[in-house]
Amino acid sequence: MTVSIEQPAIRQEPHQWLGAAFIVPSLIMIGLFFFVPLIMTVWMSLHDWPLLGQSSFIGLDNFIEIAGDRQLWNSVGFTMLYTVPVTLALFAVAFPLAILIDRPLRAAGFFRTIFFMPVVIGFGAASTLWMWLLNPDSGVFAQLLKSLHLVTAAPRPIESFWPALGVIILMVVWKSAGFTMVILLTGLQSVPAEVIEAAKIDGANARSRFRNITLPLMRNSLLLALVLNVTSSMLAFDQFFVITWGGPQNSTITAVFQIYLASFSSYRLGYGSALSLVLLVVLVAISSIQLTFLKVRPEES
Amino acid sequence: MKKWMLMTTAIAATGLMAMSSARAEELNLWVRTSSAGVLEKLVDLYNASHDDKVVVTPITAEQMVPKLGTSIAAGAAPDGAVLDLIYLPTFAATDSLEDMTDFIKGLPYADALSPSHIRSATYEGKVYGVPALPDASIIAYNKDLFTAAGLDPEKAPASLAEIAEDAKKITALGNDTYGLFFVASSGSWLVYDFTPHIWAAGADVLSEDGRTATIDTPAMRATLAAYNDMWTSGSIHPTSRSGVGNDAVAAFASGKVGILMTGSYIVNLLTSQYPDVNFGVAPIPGPEGGASSFAGGDTLALMKGISPEKKAVAESFIDFYMQPEQQILITAESGMPPRTDLADEAYADFDPRNLIAYDILASARTPYTFASDELFVARTGPWVNLLQTAIFDGDIDGAISAAQEGFTKIPERTNPK
Repeated sequence: MTVSIEQPAIRQEPHQWLGAAFIVPSLIMIGLFFFVPLIMTVWMSLHDWPLLGQSSFIGLDNFIEIAGDRQLWNSVGFTMLYTVPVTLALFAVAFPLAILIDRPLRAAGFFRTIFFMPVVIGFGAASTLWMWLLNPDSGVFAQLLKSLHLVTAAPRPIESFWPALGVIILMVVWKSAGFTMVILLTGLQSVPAEVIEAAKIDGANARSRFRNITLPLMRNSLLLALVLNVTSSMLAFDQFFVITWGGPQNSTITAVFQIYLASFSSYRLGYGSALSLVLLVVLVAISSIQLTFLKVRPEES
Repeated sequence: MKKWMLMTTAIAATGLMAMSSARAEELNLWVRTSSAGVLEKLVDLYNASHDDKVVVTPITAEQMVPKLGTSIAAGAAPDGAVLDLIYLPTFAATDSLEDMTDFIKGLPYADALSPSHIRSATYEGKVYGVPALPDASIIAYNKDLFTAAGLDPEKAPASLAEIAEDAKKITALGNDTYGLFFVASSGSWLVYDFTPHIWAAGADVLSEDGRTATIDTPAMRATLAAYNDMWTSGSIHPTSRSGVGNDAVAAFASGKVGILMTGSYIVNLLTSQYPDVNFGVAPIPGPEGGASSFAGGDTLALMKGISPEKKAVAESFIDFYMQPEQQILITAESGMPPRTDLADEAYADFDPRNLIAYDILASARTPYTFASDELFVARTGPWVNLLQTAIFDGDIDGAISAAQEGFTKIPERTNPK
C-alpha cells in the first residue's frame, strides 16, 4: 500500500476494541440463533428425546438407525431426483429471460418487475396458492383447460408421481426463476462492452460471441446461481408439504420433510435432530464442492 | 418520616393481602380453533355468573399436540386443554394430566357421559378427562337421487354391500352424478369415516389396550374390496381420492353425490346453509350389516400439578356446562351435547335427524392408541397408505401386509413401558 507524500499520514490505527464492539451485536445474534441451537441439536441427537415424557442418553444409536433407515435414504434419493430437473428448468427459463431484459429499454424494466414479482411471495403462501389453482373442481387451471377444450375431464396431477413432480417443478420455476434471472442479469451486465465490441470487429458472430466471450466472463454468476439453486432444492419442503403432502403413497417426501415427520409426526425430537445434522453435513459437502469450482477464476482457467 | 413510610407500607401490605385472599382464580384453557366459538360462548356465560374466570386460548388443531407437549416440557403449560379425545391416552400415559376419577364418579350424571370419551381418557384405571364437545361419524344420503335411481328414499343402506349397490345405480343416472364421496387424503377423515365399517363387523384395527395391531381381518378385506369395487366401477366421486375434506360438503350439496361419508355436524350445516338438499342420515354399516360410528370431538383435561383452587374452578365450569341449559347451547352450536341422557331437552328445537347420530353416540367408539398422529392422522402414515393403496391401486394384499407391519412397528416404540 502506498501513501502519497502530500497527504497527511494516517495518524493512528483505529482502536481494535472499536471493531470488536461493532461486530458484537451480530456475534450475539449468530450465537443465540445459530450456535446455541446447533449445539442443542447435537446434544439432542445423542438422546432418545420424545415430545412427551423423559429423554434418555443413547449415544450414537440415532445415527446407527439413520444408516439403516430405508425411508430416509428414499427421501434423499427423491430430493436429488427433484434437484436435477428443477435446476435445469430454472436455468432454461431464467437465462433467456435475463437475455431478453438485458436491454436499455423502458419496457425491459417493466418485464423485469413482472418476472421478479413471484420471488417476493413466501414459499408457503405460493404453495397454498397453487394448491387451489390445481384444485380439480374449483381451480383455475382445470376450468381454463376445460373451457379451451384441451381436456374433457379435469386433470388430477397430484394423484400420480410424475405429474405431481411436474406441477411442483412448474410452480417452483414460476416462483424462483425471477431470482435466478436477476443473478444471471448481473453477470450479463458485468461483461465489458468493449470486449464484445472487439469480438464483433474480429468478425465473431452472435453465437460464438455468446459462447466464447459472454459465457466464460459470467461464469461466477452462473456458479452462484447454481449453488443457490441446488442448496434451496436440497432443502425443499414447503411445496411438497402443502401441495402433495408427500403423496401419492409417500413418493414425494424430501429430506427435510422426513425430518419434519420424525420430529412432528412421530414426535422423536432426538432422531429429528440427528437427521438434521446428517443433512447439514451433506449440504456443507455439496456446497464446498461447488465453492471450490467457484474459486477458480475465469482468468486462471 | 420514617414512621409514616412504615405505616403506608403496612397499609399497602394489608391491602395486598386482603386483595389476594379475595382474588378470583383464573383458569386458562387451550382449545382447538374449530371449537373456540362454542367454548367462548360457554365461558362468557360462566364468567358473567361467577367470580372466577375461565379464559380460552385458541390453538390450531394440528399445533395442539406439539405446542402442548413443548409447553409441558418447558414448565409453561396452561391449566388445562380441550383437545381431540384421540390424544388422551398419549398424554395420560406420560403422566402429564391430572387424575379426575373421583370428581367424575361423583357427578350425578356420570353414567350419561359419552362412553367413548371416558374410555379414551382412561389409563390404568384412572380417568383423566371429561367429554366436552362430541360428534359422531355417520352417512348422509341424497333422497332425491335415491328416488331418481329407483331406490327407497326412506331406507338408508344397511350394509356396505347395499352402499355399493346403491352407489352404482346412482352413478348410472349419468350427468356427472356419483354414488359415493369419502375424503380419502386426510388421515383424520379416514379414521373417522372408515373404522366404523370394521367395528360394525365386530372387528378392530388395534387391540383394546392399543398395543397390538389387528389390521388383517376378514372385515378389513371385505370393506377394502367393496370400496375398490366401487372405485373401479367409477361410482366414487373422482375428487374423493385427493380430497382433504374441504370439498366434501359442497360436492354433496350440489346434488351430484348419492352418499357422503361424514359426521353428525352435517345435519345442522346442511339445514342452515343448504336448505334445499333433501337428505337422510344413518349410522355407518359394516360390510354385511351392523352399524357403528366413530366418537370424535373434544375432551377437557387438566394439566398435572394444577393448584387445588384452579382445579375447583375447572370442576365448577364442567358442572356448569353439563347443565341442560348449556347442553342445549352446545347442541345448537356444535350439533351434539356430551351428555347422552338429554335427547328430549337438547334436541327439542332442532332437526330430528340429529337424533340418529345422537343415538349412536352411546355405542360409538374411538381407537385407543398412543400413536394417533403417526398411525392414523399423518398423510404419510400406515393408515392413509393402507386405504389409498388398497382402494385406488387395488393391491389389497400388499396394502394390508404393509399396514400390519407399520401398525406393529410404531406401537413397539410408542407403547408406554
